[in-house]
Amino acid sequence: MNIIICVKQVPDTSEVRIDPVTNNLVRDGVKSIVNPFDMYAIEEGLRLKEKFGGKVTVLTMGPPQAEAALREAISLGCDEAVLVSDRAFAGSDTLATSYTLSKAIEKIKDYDLIICGKQAIDGDTAQVGPGIAATLDIPQINYVRKVEEIKDQTITAERVTEEGYEVIQSTLPCLLTVVKEINNPRLPSLKGKMKAKSAVIQVWSAADIAAAEDRIGLKGSPTWVLNIFTPPPKPRGKIFEGEAQNSVNQLVESLKGIIH
Amino acid sequence: MSNDNLIETDVLVIGGGPAGLAFAIHYADLSKKNNLPIKVMILEKAAVLGNHTLSGAVMNLKNISQLLPDVDLTTIPTQTPVQQEEILFLTKKNAFALPFHPKAMSNKGNHILSLGAMVRWLGQIAEQKGVEIFAGVAGHEPIFENGKLVGVFTGASGLDHEGKPMANYQPPTEVRAKIIILAEGSRGHLTKKLIEKYSLAQDKNPQVYSLGVKEVWEVPEGAFLQGRVCHTLGFPLSSDQFGGGFVYGFSKTQVVIGFCSGLDYSNPAFDPHGALQMYKTHPRIAGIIKNGKLIKYGAKNIPEGGLFSLPKLYHDNFMLIGDAAGMVAMPSLKGIHLGIKAGMTAAQAAFEAIKAQDTSKETLSLYEKLFKDTPEYRELYASRNFRQCFTSNLYFGFLKFGINLITGGRGLSLSGKSKLEADYKHCETASKDNHLPKVAFDNKMLFDKEADLFFSGTKHNEEQPCHILISSRDTCVDCIERFEAPCQHFCPAQVFELSRDAQTNKGKIILHPSNCVHCKTCDIKDPFQNVTWVPPYGADGPQYDNM
Ligand SMILES: Cc1cc2nc3c(=O)[nH]c(=O)nc-3n(C[C@H](O)[C@H](O)[C@H](O)COP(=O)(O)OP(=O)(O)OC[C@H]3O[C@@H](n4cnc5c(N)ncnc54)[C@H](O)[C@@H]3O)c2cc1C
Ligand code: SF4
Repeated sequence: MNIIICVKQVPDTSEVRIDPVTNNLVRDGVKSIVNPFDMYAIEEGLRLKEKFGGKVTVLTMGPPQAEAALREAISLGCDEAVLVSDRAFAGSDTLATSYTLSKAIEKIKDYDLIICGKQAIDGDTAQVGPGIAATLDIPQINYVRKVEEIKDQTITAERVTEEGYEVIQSTLPCLLTVVKEINNPRLPSLKGKMKAKSAVIQVWSAADIAAAEDRIGLKGSPTWVLNIFTPPPKPRGKIFEGEAQNSVNQLVESLKGIIH
Repeated sequence: MSNDNLIETDVLVIGGGPAGLAFAIHYADLSKKNNLPIKVMILEKAAVLGNHTLSGAVMNLKNISQLLPDVDLTTIPTQTPVQQEEILFLTKKNAFALPFHPKAMSNKGNHILSLGAMVRWLGQIAEQKGVEIFAGVAGHEPIFENGKLVGVFTGASGLDHEGKPMANYQPPTEVRAKIIILAEGSRGHLTKKLIEKYSLAQDKNPQVYSLGVKEVWEVPEGAFLQGRVCHTLGFPLSSDQFGGGFVYGFSKTQVVIGFCSGLDYSNPAFDPHGALQMYKTHPRIAGIIKNGKLIKYGAKNIPEGGLFSLPKLYHDNFMLIGDAAGMVAMPSLKGIHLGIKAGMTAAQAAFEAIKAQDTSKETLSLYEKLFKDTPEYRELYASRNFRQCFTSNLYFGFLKFGINLITGGRGLSLSGKSKLEADYKHCETASKDNHLPKVAFDNKMLFDKEADLFFSGTKHNEEQPCHILISSRDTCVDCIERFEAPCQHFCPAQVFELSRDAQTNKGKIILHPSNCVHCKTCDIKDPFQNVTWVPPYGADGPQYDNM
């Protein structure tokens, strides 16, 4: 089974400080790391490979430095790595990024599964994974907490919902985004680190993946950021306590007030 | 172990501090010059080179220029030349300048710098020269074959608290080399095993240590002159304790404040971290930092026994260099340039041995021979009885030190070699008299351990076996009864907590290993030698960057 894992290099937010004078984030000297959620994607890919055989290719779009993220993935056991990197990609929003990664995936070809982390910690949009599946026109299962079975070109997985979980079955190829609960990522061994040092990273430009000019970079990015803010916390639910009959009546009364 | 997890090289260096890096750089240079393959590899347990490095540091740069004759030394980051220096004797409220400045302590021409930054700088140079550096990997277990050291295992990962493999288990890697260089720094855990196995410390004085606890402060410009070096004696230590403070003007707005406490103290309630906090209440020190902000914290041990505590430096297939061997010159408390020189001389010996395909102890004895011929060895020789002067009383110590200076370091003992006793042997029974004055922590100027610890950046993977090994819990019960658990005081990172049962008042030690800053004091000072420090997962531990 061939698996593609999409990762992103992000600043290590545990090291980002706030400039006391300007109140801006100080990104200088802050280490870059592999997006923590992507580590779970890598681990799941490696475990599936250990079980079913095949190959794990790790893919990222980013500046040349993003190569470090790919080497880290190789140190953990990924077989191949592709960096899509081109000035023309600068300013990509999630739509353009999804498109670009899809084009690279088309070039990689032969894949059964694409795995992404549920979201990147520097943007928190959670859009790129689903965006890739949409662009490639393949099924997707998001927020996966467990892969139950892969058999006869179908996958069965549990996905987390706000209320509980759902069991979903899909044909392959398919895209998964995974949550933390899915596994406990491994640490690199020395042998792995050594492989990573000498690994050849393929670097593809916009031309290499035959990306349409108007769908990448700023041109391909219709998103306008108006404002960034933390949404207000959900107010606490109301709890009706006491004797059952009494609280049911209270509940009905208060619902009447909302539903006319 | 399958061959899949085997790596082979000519020379394996354990520890990427100044000594290990100097070794590797010089070895690579010699190999290149002679058209031989450069096969030297460094394992460093910190996630990034320099992250576990903590020093003063006032450094003598002369050996860097010997190591790197073609490199412009002004490219060493963070260096500032020493402008002014003083030695003060502190009483609780006052400070008296020492009327003379012993030559052995002079820092004329030296530079204040961050050793962590310098180590990263050296690391880049080493890699350019073909040295393979793997950070985030600890040497865990020695591998012996036919009674000889032939390599090390790195640690496994993906183990639960009991040490059982989990789904993310990764096996250790076996690294085999013709020569292994132990450059682990003070109290290296592999070094300790080798010294014991091959009786390398036979007929030597035991090694003795000081724990250096250090903070870096951001201060308004003018609070302390950049390039100023201040050493202090006296407050807050009583006159029967060895130790002292240091304040270095690291840059216009950064000052380094540290306190070193000799671990041969006998009060079981003594707390080296508390000593630094108390030190900062002195008007001289408080005045410097009162409008400042703490930015970094850390602690590390210094081997201070000197020449007579140096073990034999080599055996079949391995050599000990730098702090791992105890190469720190007293009283100037300098080890960096000694470690670099030891690394260079060991590289010469390793190169000859690899070339001759003979790595036996007979061939490697060249290292000790070469080292004995260096000015650094003479530095150690001159102060060979220094630490021995200060085992009882500070004033008496100065008298003995004076005699030492007159007799060229010999002192008054007939053999010319004064004895030392291991630190853990000094421990009085706990009593009310032991209790020290309390520090009024405000976490603005005076930090309790927990608050200070945040500034060490230390972190450990929670899912792993505890890396602080306690041999016997019964011994803990004895220790609590007699000494009231000195571990809760000497550990600068609050790893040991004494908890007492509300009903029976019976004590128990609870461990918080993820707080550990890898200073190794527990391994040294526990009165029953009941604690052994082993490396946690690679990359775990403090994140010092510029200490
Ligand atoms: C508070 C303090 C102040 C000092 N002030 C000065 C000063 O002003 N001037 C001066 O010259 N000297 C000073 N020294 C001494 C000086 O810092 C040391 O002598 C010097 O750092 C020794 O270098 P080293 O390479 O031998 O060891 P270290 O610098 O300790 O480096 C050893 C390295 O090995 C790594 N390591 C250890 N075990 C393993 C393992 N099993 N596997 C992988 N990696 C491992 C460690 O993480 C570390 O990075 C001071 C020391 C202290 C603690
Ligand atoms: S547990 Fe030991 S090595 Fe770790 S910080 Fe405490 S005394 Fe130092």
